[in-house]
Amino acid sequence: MIMRRPTLLLLLAPAVLLAGLLFVLPLFGVMRLSIFDESGFTLGPIAELVNSRVAVVVLERTFVLAASVTAICLILGYPAAYFMSGLKPKTRAYVTYLILLPFWISILIRTYTWIVILGREGIVNKGLGLLGVAPVQVLYTDLAVHIGMVQILLPIVIITCLAAMLDIEKDLMKAARSLGASRSQAFWKVFFPLSVSGAATGGLICFILSLGFFVTPALLGGRRSIIIANLIDLQVHQTLNWGFAAVLATALLAVTLTCLGLFWLVMRRRVEFTGAGLGR
Amino acid sequence: MANLTRRAFNIAAASTALAAMTARAYAQSDVTIVVNGSGGSLAEVLKKLFEDPFTEATGIKVRSTAPVSLPKLKAMVESGNVEWDLTELNGDDVVLATEAGWLEPIDYAIVDPKNELPEVAKLPTAMVRASYSTVIAFRTDRFPADKLPKTWSDFWDVEAFPGPRSLENSPKGNLEFALLADGVPLDQIYPIDVDRAFAKLDELKDHIPVWWDNGAQHVQLLVDAEVNMTSCWNGRITPLKDEGKPVDISWDGGALMLSYLGIPKGAKHPKEAMEFMKFRMDPVASAAFVKVIPYPGFVPGMMELLEPEFVATLPTAPANAEVQFPFNSEWWAKNLEEVQNRWNEWLLI
Repeated sequence: MIMRRPTLLLLLAPAVLLAGLLFVLPLFGVMRLSIFDESGFTLGPIAELVNSRVAVVVLERTFVLAASVTAICLILGYPAAYFMSGLKPKTRAYVTYLILLPFWISILIRTYTWIVILGREGIVNKGLGLLGVAPVQVLYTDLAVHIGMVQILLPIVIITCLAAMLDIEKDLMKAARSLGASRSQAFWKVFFPLSVSGAATGGLICFILSLGFFVTPALLGGRRSIIIANLIDLQVHQTLNWGFAAVLATALLAVTLTCLGLFWLVMRRRVEFTGAGLGR
Repeated sequence: MANLTRRAFNIAAASTALAAMTARAYAQSDVTIVVNGSGGSLAEVLKKLFEDPFTEATGIKVRSTAPVSLPKLKAMVESGNVEWDLTELNGDDVVLATEAGWLEPIDYAIVDPKNELPEVAKLPTAMVRASYSTVIAFRTDRFPADKLPKTWSDFWDVEAFPGPRSLENSPKGNLEFALLADGVPLDQIYPIDVDRAFAKLDELKDHIPVWWDNGAQHVQLLVDAEVNMTSCWNGRITPLKDEGKPVDISWDGGALMLSYLGIPKGAKHPKEAMEFMKFRMDPVASAAFVKVIPYPGFVPGMMELLEPEFVATLPTAPANAEVQFPFNSEWWAKNLEEVQNRWNEWLLI
């Protein structure tokens, strides 16, 4: 059934209104805070961002962390999704359920669980102790942050990859094999290029979510694992420097939007090239 | 409160009479005041000992909120939407909030009509509610019984007292502790030699895997044996000790801190809030409170109601107080922004 345009707009209106009131309006409030103070327009907070060594280091750290978490999630998630795409639909439903199960448990609880597992008196170190190994410091390091974040984000990557893989015509692989391609040639020449956009979407979602992580670095990380969201919290709660917090938040948003823009440009090229793409 | 002395009984009788008088003045009141505090078990004790009896005596209802937050006070006052009638504040928050004009002046003719409260407890915009200490806490099972850590020099001595430690993720207090560890006498800490303190903190930086942000966290770190020692708020360790956990504290070099009550500028019921502040001065209820939460304030007549052995365990007991230093809120309020920025850079990079 084709709806006429006015009806369509009317159906969209409540969602747009709600998003505008609850999201866009406060967002402008935050952005306004970064260039206005009690005395009017100011570039102070922006200058503070450029001159603050902490902000620059933490921003850089945030991107490195997000990139490495995304890479790990893709390396673990892509093969898992490939495996699942080959399963019978019924078995696949069970496996999907198992993968989504931890997803319904609060991030806070899952993060606290890692404290119990990785701590000095935790399961891992108790086990090492039985083997006569001295306790290792895993908790409050970057390693712990990676473990925690990968565990939280991996299901998203797997499911996104899987969705793209299930869209791929199985007959294409059969055709490739019948034309003499080896199993690995068929995978790399046919399946992989077609699945790349799905994997990239999963990676992008994972990357953007990683940029905004707060709880996991705060609870599992040490002093050098602080990322941008923790720094914003510090500015709001400890230094009361709300202008600076607003600039940091705006910078994070700007960089995230830039990433999205770049991704869109690259993917559009790829779509023209392979004829497959995001829109499917 | 089985062992009330005769004096305590007299005071109790007097305060009941007082409550009856206020009750008449507010008999028709249907006001609800919002009191902001630290929440948790503290809030339950406050409700039982002060808030419910206050409502009974005056008809003024009390709704309690948490947590203590200077940013929230700032947001409320600046937006003109003041939800709280009374809030807890720490020392340097009082200085900052007063300078910024976020607090109402307190009328001590209402709060302390008989002028019994010591001057130190009465600031123009805030009244001392409690005193507590930030001290060294440690695991007794990680060190030989005859060689437990005692001073901040011990805390810094990673050879004699091995194992990970924790400190608060804030320069407040830590700079003072570093100076004490470096041999500065108690009475010469202020004004703080910031460079010297940071240099001393450098020595310990790699032995601190985690910097705590709140009271629950330092308790958890000690109980899980994640660290062998940490700075801590004295009252959080008392219940652990009572449960038989292998933890103890040393008062040596502790920071004696004060916690205040203040009325936000633009509060809807400042007068009722002050009535409640007066009610919080009740010595019998205050003594019962301190028995549960060992944070004594300056309530006149309260100490006389407590057993001497118990008084000796409080941060303000003379023997404990003399090995500690009074935390200087004015110095911190004046230097916080600069030191905090340096701290962030020092810690995060």
